[in-house]
Amino acid sequence: MSELGRLAILVAFLCAVYSTGVIAWGLRSGLAGPLRSGRNALWAVCSLTVLATIILSRALVARDFTYRYVAEHTSLDLPAMYAFASLWAGQEGSLLLWLLILCAYGAAFLWFYRNRLDPFYDAVVMVVSSVAVFFTFLLAFVCSPFRMLASPPADGMGLNPLLQDPGMMIHPPILYTGYVGFIIPFAFGIAVLLMNRTGTRWIEEVRRWTLFCWMFLGFGVLLGARWAYIELGWGGYWGWDPVENASLMPWLVGTAFLHSVMIEQRRGMLKTWNVALIVLTFELSIFGTFLTRSGVLTSVHSFAESNIGPWFMAFIIGSSTLATALILYRKALLESENKMDAIVSREGSFLFNNVLFVALTFATFLGTTFPVLSEAVTGAKISVSAPFFNRVNVPIGLALLILTGMGPVLSWKRATASVLQRNFLIPTVLGVVVTLLSLPLGVKGLYPIVTVFGSAFVMATIVMEFARGLQARKDVAAGRGAMAIVDLMAKNRRRYGGYVIHAGVVMIFVGVLGSSVFQKEAHQPLRTGDSMAIGDYRLTLRGTEQKMEKNAALTSAVLDVSKDGKSLGQSHPSKAMYFKSQQPMTEVALHQTPGEDLYMILGGVNEDGTVSIQAYINPLVSLIWAGGVVMLFGTLIALSDKMRLRREEKVAV
Amino acid sequence: MNTTAKIAIVSLVIVGAVSYLILSGVKQTGLQYMTVTELAQMEKAPKADGFRLDGVVAAGSVAYDQKQPRLTFRMTDGKEAVHVVYDGLMPDAFAEGRDVVVEGTFRHTDRTLHASKLVTKCPSKYESEGLGEDRS
Repeated sequence: MSELGRLAILVAFLCAVYSTGVIAWGLRSGLAGPLRSGRNALWAVCSLTVLATIILSRALVARDFTYRYVAEHTSLDLPAMYAFASLWAGQEGSLLLWLLILCAYGAAFLWFYRNRLDPFYDAVVMVVSSVAVFFTFLLAFVCSPFRMLASPPADGMGLNPLLQDPGMMIHPPILYTGYVGFIIPFAFGIAVLLMNRTGTRWIEEVRRWTLFCWMFLGFGVLLGARWAYIELGWGGYWGWDPVENASLMPWLVGTAFLHSVMIEQRRGMLKTWNVALIVLTFELSIFGTFLTRSGVLTSVHSFAESNIGPWFMAFIIGSSTLATALILYRKALLESENKMDAIVSREGSFLFNNVLFVALTFATFLGTTFPVLSEAVTGAKISVSAPFFNRVNVPIGLALLILTGMGPVLSWKRATASVLQRNFLIPTVLGVVVTLLSLPLGVKGLYPIVTVFGSAFVMATIVMEFARGLQARKDVAAGRGAMAIVDLMAKNRRRYGGYVIHAGVVMIFVGVLGSSVFQKEAHQPLRTGDSMAIGDYRLTLRGTEQKMEKNAALTSAVLDVSKDGKSLGQSHPSKAMYFKSQQPMTEVALHQTPGEDLYMILGGVNEDGTVSIQAYINPLVSLIWAGGVVMLFGTLIALSDKMRLRREEKVAV
Repeated sequence: MNTTAKIAIVSLVIVGAVSYLILSGVKQTGLQYMTVTELAQMEKAPKADGFRLDGVVAAGSVAYDQKQPRLTFRMTDGKEAVHVVYDGLMPDAFAEGRDVVVEGTFRHTDRTLHASKLVTKCPSKYESEGLGEDRS
């Protein structure tokens, strides 16, 4: 079977090369035959990749230790679902997953555009195929998942206990679906340049693809944060770790693009900027994969140092140089059709939104790569960590929060003083009132106060926009109650989907504020019957329990939890000792409510029989996850919108 | 003043502010990477929380008082060694022989580092140890 897998990857590589080459020839010569053949070759790449993935997954689930990859990442005592998930636990498998998802996007594109014979779309296919060349090349010649062992061991080396968590089943695939998806917007961008494409139809198409993978990437990032929160047991969810940053950066640039593309669609401006943003988003996605896999930086995700780093660097440098050259070569195509009329306008606010998003990305990039950069420039290896990012990124983020409330309600071209007053008077007053009310609750310091003001301000503008929309449709909405809001949103899904997303963003800001500023912490050794207090909670130790599981021994503390004298039931913070790695794993006990989380960690059982318990109260963390769900929901609303094309474009189809 | 100029000015202000934040951020929060030998041979102690020490947990040196909790161990790079005191729970992956990174305050008098932060590098090398050659 392994020979078949190896062969599948090799043939996929050849098909990808063929697809790229034959489409290039077809585009030059104008012949339809090569173009069709090139599309079919990408289908072949997809089928072969699926075949290779099936072969490797089967070997993983069957624990076939003749495969080096299987022996390295699984063991007999590993539950089957984690054996399957080991597909993305190591480098070779992760690359295969990358290629598989790339193929899924490629196949989706081929399918949706099967009747569009416009060579422009063939150029898109060509770019996708050329990226497939890179990944099939790596899998075929640099790090094959189908290496076989001369003398297979009786049992494998096992999966890192950190990865044996339900989060492992969903977080990496969803994150990768986001990362890899930016291949399609990138391919569109390159195709526009190659084919000298004018018009706005492609912008609408690319916006939808981008929105789709942007949704997955954002959701993946939040899932990662939640996983870290539940699994890593340090009481937090975001540590500005290089790999976290790596997933955040393409999301930030993607967000900038989703905003500025509206200006291009509406006003024919910022064309060069937009193409540059698409290219940058894609390159950052590749960079993220590279960072996760290369081990150049210290990180909780640091995997074995590997040989693929230089290949990725070469790919990133090569593809971005090519893209830059193309942008310069097609300068005339990217000429702006309009000029900015006024700074206080929708365009103006989106422009500054973009500047801030790019600045945020730049600061994050700089901070993440600082050890490498400083060593290269000054010879001294200097690193920056969370304090740096908090210092630099928080103010930029707050400026963006305020803009979130302003941009959507400013009118295009030029906002007059009366518009400003009508739109911003009430939200500003409301923001100030909420801020004043929050002061007695203990909000202090510039940034927390700005966060509270900004959140109230943005929420008020969103509510006012809904109210105004309902008002305008008063006659239709009459007597329909809550259904009127659904009607309103269905009418203009993009706009109201956007507002819902913004509301989710505000929830996340508030959640981050609450959990970072108001966190409480307590630690105490307890004897059976003893109790400790944290906030309004009381934790009483009832004893400890030992449990044997298939691959680990579990020690748990049994805690009676009560709040203000009312019992909330029992919690079981635990430590698992995994047999394979002989490494303990903290299993956090969480009591979650909308207002605050009680987060309990078992420090261990002491020699004198006491049990060490560490507890945190994390206020408003649930708002972060809920905000993520709201954003997801808003994106789905926006995605469900019909294609909106200018009339001349409709005729042309 | 025309709109383009205004936009340029506001953008420049933003870029300037961000540059200032970055530069001052690096200056005030940047951590110098150091090896144990470099730290031990320094004339005077480096700024508290201004450095990051890489090293290995020395064999037989770990003492953990879980009740406090307080973790003490010796950190070495093969040549020199320093004492490390960390008030906090022992990280899951912490063990003798593991690579660790600490930040904190160093006192020359007793060669002791009071760590404010302790990170254990994952034993990422589950991979490829002792599985032998590939089948040709």
